[in-house]
Amino acid sequence: MNVGKTSLLHRYMERRFQETVSTVGGAFYLKQWRSYNISIWDTAGREQFHGLGSMYCRGAAAIILTYDVNHLQSLIELEDRFLSLTDTASTDCLFAIVGNKIDLTDDAGGEDDAEDEPGKATGTCNSARAPKRVCLEDAMALYKKILKYRMLDEKEVPAAEKMCFETSAKTGYNVDYVFETLFDMVVPVILRQRAEGPSQTVDITHYKPAKQTQSRCCV
Amino acid sequence: MEARGGVGAGSAPAPEASGDPERPFRVASAQEPAGAPGSPEACGPPRADEELPGALAEPEKEAPTHLGVHELSGQTSLEKKDNKGSKDAGRAGKMPGTGDGSQRGELAAPGPRDEEDVTAEGWRSRRKHVFVLSEAGKPIYSRYGNEEALSATMGVMMALVSFIQSGDNAIRSIYSDDRTLVFLQQGPLVLVAVSRTPQSAAQLRCELLGVHAQIVSVLTRAGVARVFERQRSYDLRRLLAGSERILDSLLDGAEREPGFLLGAVRCLPLPAPFRDSLGALLQRATAPSLAFSILAAGRHLVTAAQERAVLEDCRLDPADLHLLLNLVGASSAFRAGEVWAPVCLPRFNPDGFFYAYVSYLGDNTDYAICLVLLSTDREAFHALAGCKRIVEEGLQALGASRVLAGGGVGLPSYGVSAVGTPDLRHFLYKPFDVPDNYRQLPQFTSPEMEGPYASECERQRLFDLYYHLHGRLHSPSRPLRLIYHVAEKETLLAWVTPKFELYACFNPLVTKSGAIHAVTKLLRWVKREEDRLFIRYPPKYSTAPGPARHGPNRTDSALENGL
Repeated sequence: MNVGKTSLLHRYMERRFQETVSTVGGAFYLKQWRSYNISIWDTAGREQFHGLGSMYCRGAAAIILTYDVNHLQSLIELEDRFLSLTDTASTDCLFAIVGNKIDLTDDAGGEDDAEDEPGKATGTCNSARAPKRVCLEDAMALYKKILKYRMLDEKEVPAAEKMCFETSAKTGYNVDYVFETLFDMVVPVILRQRAEGPSQTVDITHYKPAKQTQSRCCV
Repeated sequence: MEARGGVGAGSAPAPEASGDPERPFRVASAQEPAGAPGSPEACGPPRADEELPGALAEPEKEAPTHLGVHELSGQTSLEKKDNKGSKDAGRAGKMPGTGDGSQRGELAAPGPRDEEDVTAEGWRSRRKHVFVLSEAGKPIYSRYGNEEALSATMGVMMALVSFIQSGDNAIRSIYSDDRTLVFLQQGPLVLVAVSRTPQSAAQLRCELLGVHAQIVSVLTRAGVARVFERQRSYDLRRLLAGSERILDSLLDGAEREPGFLLGAVRCLPLPAPFRDSLGALLQRATAPSLAFSILAAGRHLVTAAQERAVLEDCRLDPADLHLLLNLVGASSAFRAGEVWAPVCLPRFNPDGFFYAYVSYLGDNTDYAICLVLLSTDREAFHALAGCKRIVEEGLQALGASRVLAGGGVGLPSYGVSAVGTPDLRHFLYKPFDVPDNYRQLPQFTSPEMEGPYASECERQRLFDLYYHLHGRLHSPSRPLRLIYHVAEKETLLAWVTPKFELYACFNPLVTKSGAIHAVTKLLRWVKREEDRLFIRYPPKYSTAPGPARHGPNRTDSALENGL
């Protein structure tokens, strides 16, 4: 299952939506933002490329975890399969959780047999059964779990409300907002680090792997 | 060609009650091949590589004119009724895929790849179908149409394979009047081609091997084996999701790129000094763990360099290079980024991964030169990105855009008129008589398709003729060295010697002596131009023993090449 990481990045970089092919490995982009060069990794969701995950995340200043708001399973897999890939990220790495494909929610056009996984572990959802649309609250619950997993204090990092987004790469809804909110948060941190200690990188660079999910269909 | 006709005739004269619903099932599971009337081939020695045309053609004769997908899909419905097991297998394949399929439709680039109606006449009359399935009969890939819709048809294919297998034999091909079916088993995967093209079974088998190799390039052979060891009924599409496009483009390429047919790489024609300086540039832009450096333009090779120690193991194989360039061409979503991905080169080592760094060079799209660097180190991305910058700067310094863009008319190429023989319309030339270290990367050259072959359909026709002649030259039973073939609209000559392999196409009114004269002239021309047409001395470099990345390496390599 694809959640639309490449489309999301493509929308931001190229200002348009384009059908993409499944990402092989990862793709590295440089984005000129204000006077900074931001490095962005677009990673593959497919399981076979998870071996590379640690490389993308090493030294990352921010990580965007992406799920599909129409598939609860994609959010669940963020936790089950992708969270462990972020172990190599630095301790002050920011996490953002992005629910993409919001344009598909209203009429739920397309497949309606969303996984009726008993995903009740994570929180409060309006529609009790077979949720068609993943609630923002679920994403926030995941955010808090990530903090716990990384042993961070909730008070020292941005609040869940500020780090969970819903976007549509197709319409462009919220896409710039996600990236630029993160850049705004992350650039000062990097500048401060550079001022403090010997820099590890030449450029002001941070990596931001968008992570995601594949539906594990059981045979 | 003759063989095909003969076999078709052999299978035809056994009339049978047609339309018997029990028939396909019974044949596929119970009937003895030896019992097939009118097909003595089937009774032959049960060698594993024996062709079994009679035995298998026989069950199909409910449609006396031809056998093919039409009949196969006709059978499938029967198969469903008769064979519960196969039906279940089909279902099992379908269930997990439902979500997948709809999702893929969304993913795939515009084009009705998956929506094609597999029951329609248009689907049946495709020139060539290619299917990939697992040993459990689970569909993995179909060139046309959604493979899920074909799970029953694939079940039938698997039934044919297993039936022959149960007699300690292997099904290789089925011939009918107008179609050739080729079966190929590679580990836990079964590949099937159903073709109306003039390709021989051997050529189709090569193509299937290519499809298999492309799957291996994504997953490795060991990886494929592993998932099926764990679960025989595994749905491999879970791992291949998104790779269908790569397989599509490979098969498309096989239809229009002679490189697949000849097992050789086409080089971009370039002035030798320019190519040499590009090679030197690749030698300069190295990093530890770098094994191969390749500059390519589309499916044309510009130059390639190889690490010296790796070279001792193995020279880059043209088949691997085809796969790699196909992968690069088919999967670059947008060209701004730098890709880092594990890639397996099946001929080099089917069980191991390289890490491929892929980036297009130059800001403008005047010339789409692509740099591919293969490293053995998973973490080498940033080092290789550094190499790319060196190459990019070097290209600028060389004024590469001027040479490569050829004044805005696309990549450098040449027309057949350059040879100066009016009778000659087109040719493919693959040399063997080249310096030692170059022999291992087979190359070929051919002019643009012009004049009568400018249209897609005429080009296809010419290719079909080349395929036909190639099949005759390399026929396993009766190989030939020289063929002079008068076709309807042109005259062709195919010639293989220890020094070269040549296919030349002349206007239809050429005389034999005229053709010989033209070929002589062509050979002389190629000899004169070979520095421009081919990579004569592929560069090498060392990355293993310390950083030999500077000036000295260059001179060193020049000495090493020795010529």
